[in-house]
Amino acid sequence: MFNIRFHGRGGQGIKTAGRLLGTAFFLEGYEVQDAPRYGAERRGAPMSAYVRADRKPINARGIITHPDLVVVDDSLIPVPAAGVLAGIRPDTVLLIASHEDDAVWRSRLNLKSPILTIKPSEGADPASVSAACAGASARLTGVIRKENLIEALEDELGKLGPALLKANLDTVLQGFESMSAHQGLVRQSEAIALIDYQKPEWINLPLEASELASATIQGAQTSVQVRTGLWRTQRPVVHYEDCHRCWWVCSSFCPDSAISVNEEGFPVIDYEHCKGCMICVAQCPSHAIVAIPESEAQRLERQGEQR
Amino acid sequence: MTDTRFARMKDLPSTHWLGAGTPMCAGCGGLQALHQIYDILGNKTVFVNAAGCMTLLSIYPFTPFRGSWLYTAMGSAPAGAQGIRDALDILLEQKHIPPEEDLTTVVLSGDGSAYGMGVSATSGAIDRGLDFLYICYDNEGYGNTGQQFSAGAKTSTSKGPRGYPGYKKDLFALWAANKPAYVATVIGAEPLDLARKIEKATQLKGSRLIIALSPCPTGWDFDPKESTEIGRLAVKTGVWPLKEYQDGRVSHTKIPKERLPVEDYLKVQGRFAHLFEPVRNEAMLAEIQQRIDDYWADVV
Repeated sequence: MFNIRFHGRGGQGIKTAGRLLGTAFFLEGYEVQDAPRYGAERRGAPMSAYVRADRKPINARGIITHPDLVVVDDSLIPVPAAGVLAGIRPDTVLLIASHEDDAVWRSRLNLKSPILTIKPSEGADPASVSAACAGASARLTGVIRKENLIEALEDELGKLGPALLKANLDTVLQGFESMSAHQGLVRQSEAIALIDYQKPEWINLPLEASELASATIQGAQTSVQVRTGLWRTQRPVVHYEDCHRCWWVCSSFCPDSAISVNEEGFPVIDYEHCKGCMICVAQCPSHAIVAIPESEAQRLERQGEQR
Repeated sequence: MTDTRFARMKDLPSTHWLGAGTPMCAGCGGLQALHQIYDILGNKTVFVNAAGCMTLLSIYPFTPFRGSWLYTAMGSAPAGAQGIRDALDILLEQKHIPPEEDLTTVVLSGDGSAYGMGVSATSGAIDRGLDFLYICYDNEGYGNTGQQFSAGAKTSTSKGPRGYPGYKKDLFALWAANKPAYVATVIGAEPLDLARKIEKATQLKGSRLIIALSPCPTGWDFDPKESTEIGRLAVKTGVWPLKEYQDGRVSHTKIPKERLPVEDYLKVQGRFAHLFEPVRNEAMLAEIQQRIDDYWADVV
């Protein structure tokens, strides 16, 4: 059985990539499961999707704990909440969408697993990167023919119109061709035997009277413990020399209460929680808030720390 | 508007009471309106939340609120609010809590509940003169599950080549017909108008109902950073009239001087793409514009 896990950000086509791969497997005659992990996933938040495919009936259910192939957007690798490397084996293939090449990731991660990268073209939108990853994963399995991949794509995206279909087709096929040297690299694994099954880390609540067992939140404003700043792919930065201190604009419009006002009347952005919607950038009357890529911002921060 | 502490933008609250870290989407117009409302209401509130996107605000063990929160099924939030109001009244009457510890009961629901399943419970609550505040964040569809059309859907909202063929239900008129203490439409993109209305609502007793149009980047298909601009366009094109009902009278609080063509609002949202592609649907665009013009012809 193939166990494939996609990691991406909400709204960036990861669910569709999984679906596309699942449909292509199906057209090859496989039994397939494909599902995104449903919950409170939101645009920009780490999310995952799963594809299982086998020639035999699949009895496994739920999330994939031991993947044969992990497909991931590189910005999520350092995010613990994303759980990108959870359950990988030495032969689990990692396919990373990254501007950096495989050698960099091999030395950085220091894993036995084979690591491949797929380089997004300059300024490519994240959904097209996901499409390329779907094509690349299809090739890596070694069992999906090009014509079935194309048919799957027509099935999934045909309703969106010919222009979009054509653009995606080119991207998916580029991804497919880019992995020609690694066709069949992904190894199938047997379903985990019951005896080897490990329970997820959950807490079993005993069945008690509702006033004891109900999930009552006793604290106020505990949501601040959730670091939604991880969702951000762009970072708004205030250039204070241009700021006219009209804090009522940015701080009222920020949906997330992530812009506070300091004693001098300057807005201060809370990067632990800013989701990167960029409303403040769009609305700032004096254009004092600018957007920079989050990866760039983090690189600059690291440089600052080293100095 | 007289006697408001919100004369200018400068007077808006500079401290924000709603906690960050909620699971709402980046650029959520509903959360934008809610935080602005909460900044004025303050923490002496109990929220009764009908199932919807904002149910996710308080997922155990996290909550952005400083006070209590109760989750109800989609159709029954006003009934939940009645129970809480009654309990508070009993506690007050029996002197178990002093008057200063009284709380405002607030219903929070999406348009799916407000325009559809919850109408009956809301109507009943108004009939009983329930003292509560109802906040509807209206993103014109069942946003949490993929933007299927609700009774709050605007023309042709739901996805597909033809969209939803009906027209948005006039919930403002429906609520006002019940003769509650106060009804108002607001939007996060007009925070001063919103602040004045919430201030007014807090000074009244009885049923007070607020509908906040909530631009939804995920469901309406636009870049999150455009959220506020699209809200502003909804007002400038006359799609979303800002108005209030009190003492049997409806008054408009912000009448656009020169209304922009409705197309300016429609063409920036993916959900209306079928009106422009593959060919412009002139007949439909003209019809939508006509309906808006007809509405405003009766106003001014």
